[in-house]
Amino acid sequence: MSTIQLAFAVALTAVLLGVAAFAAVVGRAAVRSDGGSHPTRRLAARMLRTPEERAELNRWAFYLHRVSGVAIFGFLCLHVLDIGVYSLSRSLYDELHTVYGSAPMRVFECGLLFAILFHTFNGLRILAIDFADLGMAPARRLLAGVVATTALLGIAGSVVILAPVVT
Amino acid sequence: MSAALGPRGSTPVRESRPGAVRRRPSGSRAAAYLVVRLTGVLLAVLVLGHFALTHVVTDVAETGSAFVGRRWGSLLWVAWDWTMLGAAFAHGGAGMWIALDDYTPQPSARRRRRALLVAVCAGLWALGSVVIAVAVL
Repeated sequence: MSTIQLAFAVALTAVLLGVAAFAAVVGRAAVRSDGGSHPTRRLAARMLRTPEERAELNRWAFYLHRVSGVAIFGFLCLHVLDIGVYSLSRSLYDELHTVYGSAPMRVFECGLLFAILFHTFNGLRILAIDFADLGMAPARRLLAGVVATTALLGIAGSVVILAPVVT
Repeated sequence: MSAALGPRGSTPVRESRPGAVRRRPSGSRAAAYLVVRLTGVLLAVLVLGHFALTHVVTDVAETGSAFVGRRWGSLLWVAWDWTMLGAAFAHGGAGMWIALDDYTPQPSARRRRRALLVAVCAGLWALGSVVIAVAVL
């Protein structure tokens, strides 16, 4: 592995660790708004909930939207930097770019695809909720559609991305 | 909104939990909401198109400097990429602005992190723009 490839691998690992740390922050906030880690308090918080708050799936979609958004943003920053190498030297860029075709990077790309698909379709769902003034039940039905579309396109795309290294 | 407490247990964390009763966003937060929604529609097409082109239509191993050079020979793709670059940092920056707001109750830390976020977004947007400009000119 050359220096620039190693630098890319280190930077990508840093992005992934950052995403994991952010997911932990979001998770802690989720536990807090559930009444904290104490079981009794959590039970009390659950019973004191308003009807508007009883939308668990919408809530998890919100957390997933946030974490996937930060993950995509982290990769965007790295991606702009790696394309920046193209301006410095084409051969150095090609050397760096071979990482994108490697098996571990292709697995990461599949994960990125799932993140982008979920974030896109859930974002469009949020717009639909805003503009069509959708209530709780239609919003949940749309979420099922978002998850199904993400799974379908994500698996199809992953098959295409992984095919060259699997066979 | 349930009583979500900040790290010191005193400042309420503004957690925009869907369904929870919350105040309508105002100020920079309202502006960020609008930027996220407007650029989001654009990015739904631009980013999915970009990913499909570089991972499905073309195998990712084939997208080296020759591929980039060929693509930036066409004004359509230059316009596509430069629009996507701007929309992505506007969208990501505004989205991170809102998330940062939610998890940073202390005003001094919030100012620092906002400044860092703006610097990163502006810096990388400028770098990306220069890379495209140098390749085209």
